[in-house]
Amino acid sequence: MFANAMNLLGDLTEDYAFFPEKASTFAQDNDWLFMFITWTSVLFFVPIAGCLVWFSFKYGKPKGGKAESDVSHNTPLELAWSILPSFVLVGMFVLGAKAYLDQRSVPDGANEIGIQAFKWGWTVDYGGGVYHPELHILKDEPVKLSMRSSDVIHSLYIPAFRAKKDIVPGRYNYMWFKPTVASEKVSDEELAKALKETKDLGEEWNFDERQFTPDGYRFYDLYCTEYCGTNHSEMQTVVVVHETLEDLNAWIKKYSARPDGTTPAEYGALLYDRRGCKSCHSIDGTKMVGPSFQNLYGRQEAMVTGESFLADENYIRESILYPKAKVVAGYQPVMPSYKGQLSDDDIYSIVEWMKSISSNAAGGAEEAAKTEE
Amino acid sequence: MSSGSIPPGSVVKDPGFPTKQENYLTNSKGILSWMFTLDHKRIGVMYLVGVSLAFLFAGILALLIRYHLMEPDGKLFKGANANNMYNQLFTLHGAVMVFLFIIPSIPAALGNFLVPVMLGAKDVAFPRLNLASFYLWCAGAIFFVAALFGTGLDTGWTFYTPYSTTTDTSVIAATMGAFILGFSSIFTGLNFIVTINTMRPPGMTWFRMPLFLWATYATSIIQVLATPVLGITLLLLIAERTLHIGIFDPEFNGDPVTYQHFFWFYSHPAVYIMILPAFGIISDLIAVHSHKRIFGYRFIAYSSIAIALLGFLVWGHHMFTAGMSPMTTIIFSALTFTVSVPSAIKVFNWLATMYKGSISLTTPMCFALAFIFLFTIGGLTGLHLGTLATDMHLHDTYFVVAHFHYVMVGGTLVAFLGGVFHWWPKMFGKMYSEAGGRLSSLIIFIGFNLTFLPQFVLGSRGMPRRYATYDPEFAYLHQMSTYGAMLLGIGLLTALVVLLHSLFRGKDAPANPWGAATLEWQCTSPPPFYNFERAPVVGDPYDFSKIEWDSENERYVTVEPERETVPEEKPAIQPAH
Repeated sequence: MFANAMNLLGDLTEDYAFFPEKASTFAQDNDWLFMFITWTSVLFFVPIAGCLVWFSFKYGKPKGGKAESDVSHNTPLELAWSILPSFVLVGMFVLGAKAYLDQRSVPDGANEIGIQAFKWGWTVDYGGGVYHPELHILKDEPVKLSMRSSDVIHSLYIPAFRAKKDIVPGRYNYMWFKPTVASEKVSDEELAKALKETKDLGEEWNFDERQFTPDGYRFYDLYCTEYCGTNHSEMQTVVVVHETLEDLNAWIKKYSARPDGTTPAEYGALLYDRRGCKSCHSIDGTKMVGPSFQNLYGRQEAMVTGESFLADENYIRESILYPKAKVVAGYQPVMPSYKGQLSDDDIYSIVEWMKSISSNAAGGAEEAAKTEE
Repeated sequence: MSSGSIPPGSVVKDPGFPTKQENYLTNSKGILSWMFTLDHKRIGVMYLVGVSLAFLFAGILALLIRYHLMEPDGKLFKGANANNMYNQLFTLHGAVMVFLFIIPSIPAALGNFLVPVMLGAKDVAFPRLNLASFYLWCAGAIFFVAALFGTGLDTGWTFYTPYSTTTDTSVIAATMGAFILGFSSIFTGLNFIVTINTMRPPGMTWFRMPLFLWATYATSIIQVLATPVLGITLLLLIAERTLHIGIFDPEFNGDPVTYQHFFWFYSHPAVYIMILPAFGIISDLIAVHSHKRIFGYRFIAYSSIAIALLGFLVWGHHMFTAGMSPMTTIIFSALTFTVSVPSAIKVFNWLATMYKGSISLTTPMCFALAFIFLFTIGGLTGLHLGTLATDMHLHDTYFVVAHFHYVMVGGTLVAFLGGVFHWWPKMFGKMYSEAGGRLSSLIIFIGFNLTFLPQFVLGSRGMPRRYATYDPEFAYLHQMSTYGAMLLGIGLLTALVVLLHSLFRGKDAPANPWGAATLEWQCTSPPPFYNFERAPVVGDPYDFSKIEWDSENERYVTVEPERETVPEEKPAIQPAH
């Protein structure tokens, strides 16, 4: 800890001691304002703390000592120290409010991107039926995020952009920013190595450890900063800033639909990973926020209402689009609706994949047995 | 000089020590004599025990939180339920600290003991209401504990909708607890307003009251005006959860931001319920232990009232990022800056009081100095949050966590400890170890800064609050903070040991161990159950010229020049009537 503390002191003069990378047009102004307020505070604090210590020693006397003065007040002096600091406060207020208005006025021609926040993940709508949890944007182009929540209040925060806005259910909130630094791409060898390692270990992609996305981009963190329940701290995604429009479009195209040569079940597994299913539904039988998908397909499910239904294709489809229509006994009706966010083929793919991990399905039985071995 | 600096030929006034029959602690025996007591001093002591237990409980929760955050993936809780456990932990820490400790700590525990004695009165205006408010506090506390051992509450202490209307944890039990505690708070406030308005002794004008009474008065006004709003809000929340009346929950056409407006309309003034009594304590502590008249009495008194009023106008700064219109947001930012002025006035006045004083670095004074240091940091970092552009970056990060802990812990808790150490001899009639007390204040000061200074940096680097797990780049600042929290725990434990030790081994306290001029020091330590035989003569509460150190008996005494009765001879003829 001592070494760390020394490192921290050594880093104090560096920019990164206080702030994350400056990656948007807001960062420069905001950080300047932060330092302006900090130094003004230091200017007030050092004399106060100094007097505190100095007086304690200078006027420290043994018991029974008498005070050297009996002044009860000094109105001009008191008025001075009440009014003069107010000018500094007005300065801070005006600078802060001006910069704030700038952050709330979306420039004309900003690219609009839809964001949906849900417990506990993000869906970014790139238009044309392309959805992805990562936010990919273009360098030096203003972006307006039009945000909605399907359950509780969330808040979208990108420290590198110094930007934050709550996402309140029942209304649209917006925010905008203009990224100024493009994300680097790691070398193909490094990416291939990381992908292979992850696959060999059978793990999920570890953003914290790798520090780049599965597509090989360095990224900025995007956090949820309004407490939203159990996995609030895992409601994170990444922001990637592309250098060129071609690069961004290529990335979007990659995720636009089920690629040729991928079976529906394989694609369903990808969607499970990518679209937030996995944060509430396990595939190994563990009970999480929602029921596990293991052996779900083809099973009789008991509902909170006391009825019982066979989990077939239609049941699964309905549960994805209208999650509160049928709620399984022992669970809360907390799942957000995916209506308008998954194409027909996407839902088909998910159903096919769920069949493949269920021993109740015709073709799935052998596969399920295989995984158990 | 064997008798200190007492001028020869002067009369020494000192009430001496109480007899066992007079002492309020021993004049009646048995548990029932405490449970049904109407004596404000005994109720104050029961509150002191109650809030201390709540603080101990919530403090242990805080240590568990910090221990969990030692590692990015969480050290204390593992497995599928880890995040839930953490969420329940920080919710309980916040709720218990706010509703069971900070709000009642100074007004209910110290205020109950001190307000009547400082007024030279025998009790508060409504002694039965006073006891009722204590039992309401107990009932509210039980509801909170019920929430803990029920399903566990995980909404955060703010109960934000729609999370609080949809989670399956025991929101209703907890809000009922907060509702009942609100009434306890209203009763106490009402009692103090009436007591201070009607029971001041002859000669004690508004501007001859000790500043602690001004602060208590301002606090009581907020308690009476703001707390009913919390009651209404919590009832509406319960109605929304059970009846779906459609006011807060968007699923039934409600608006979650409405809840935030309602909630903070109480809870922001409540911040001043927490800090104003602390200002009162510090004003008295600084003057007494500097043995010098308080500087700028009127400015300090008026600034308490100004804070109480302005505190009602700034609640919107909790929602800068929630989606209010830019105009509303800017107005709230401007109002927020105005509230910083009266707080700054007080700090300058305290410093001016110390200037050219005769400072004794006693334990209460050490806490008072720590308070000024820590509260100034807490107040100044509020500027970063009141400024709109920087708040966009810092809102709901660890910067906010550090800021309000500097005000609530570095401010209120440290002032509470300073007050407890200051009035301990009066409350229990025992002197504690000065060396031990000073040591505890030093450990608390260092531990506190080590805990919360790193959190400012965590916040400006972008660490969101209420995270059970975090990105590895934040790890070593979190670790520093955890070590600090452990040190802070040791410091608090030291303070507790010093105080408890004094009860058994401490020397008997003189009536006036610090050399104060307010009325509570003119009765014995501890006071007799009736406080004062007859209403005492009211002097200037900050005139220390007649108070001298009596080194022979280790006490301060009030001295008066010897007076001769005139005429010296008895008249020969008796008057006719």
